Amino acid sequence: MIRIDCPVCGLRNETEFAYGGDATVRRPAMDESEMGPWRDYVFIRDNPRGWHREYWHHVQGCRQWLVVERNTLTHEVGTCRLAREVAE
Amino acid sequence: MVEALSPLKTVCAPGRYGADGEAGIVLGTRAIRSLWQIAGWADFETAAADLLGVLGLNGLGDYRTARVAGAVTAWRIAPDKVLIEGCGDLTGYGSADLAVLDLSHARTLIDLGGPAARDLLTQIVTVDVRAATFKPGAFLQTGIHGVGVLIHCIGSDDFEIYVPSTWAESLWEVFCENALPHGLLVNGAG
Ligand SMILES: [Zn+2]
Repeated sequence: MIRIDCPVCGLRNETEFAYGGDATVRRPAMDESEMGPWRDYVFIRDNPRGWHREYWHHVQGCRQWLVVERNTLTHEVGTCRLAREVAE
Repeated sequence: MVEALSPLKTVCAPGRYGADGEAGIVLGTRAIRSLWQIAGWADFETAAADLLGVLGLNGLGDYRTARVAGAVTAWRIAPDKVLIEGCGDLTGYGSADLAVLDLSHARTLIDLGGPAARDLLTQIVTVDVRAATFKPGAFLQTGIHGVGVLIHCIGSDDFEIYVPSTWAESLWEVFCENALPHGLLVNGAG
């Protein structure tokens, strides 16, 4: 079972959240004209074993977007921060 | 003015249901007074503090404790959102820094009490609601039956639960079904 320590609501069950995708992806510069970086941005994802950063939405709570560190091998959860406060 | 009718009007039938003996659960409802959400952006704290000050509340408070001043209750439900009940019409307070939204008809209140009230909550939420951790004055937002709700602890075994009006009837059934083994007393619509 995954439990996520929402900075607003406290430690909550995964069932209150919706997974929101890979939080390591960065959008190419808006003036990027090559197709490759845009294809990678939209479609290509790593499938890492171990620690990963992910977006989770506390949809049945404070409705804030979080950036959660999760170990894809053990399901261990690391830091949980408000996405708005995570430095780009 | 249009008369507000509770979506529980037809299902909240007063009576004694379920297990015999002392009723462990008491369910009811009451009309929600004006309920508004205020929200904002980077300078939300300043904009919100001004309005809350007008309502008699000093500061925004934290994410776990309801703020009360007279007939006004406020819950800080997110970093830049506060929910307020009993505040009257806040239309005039909308500005470029503060979005005000009337939710008076969007939420329905389920009143949960009785000596087994915490036992029932434990059955249907995944949050620790024991008396030692969820005390009178505290609130939490969680999901019941997959629906986002706000639970306000207003007494040792007394809770007011704000649910989306569109889901009120379904959630009322969830409460009733889980209450039957404890013995259920339903009070009339308040
Ligand atoms: Zn939360």
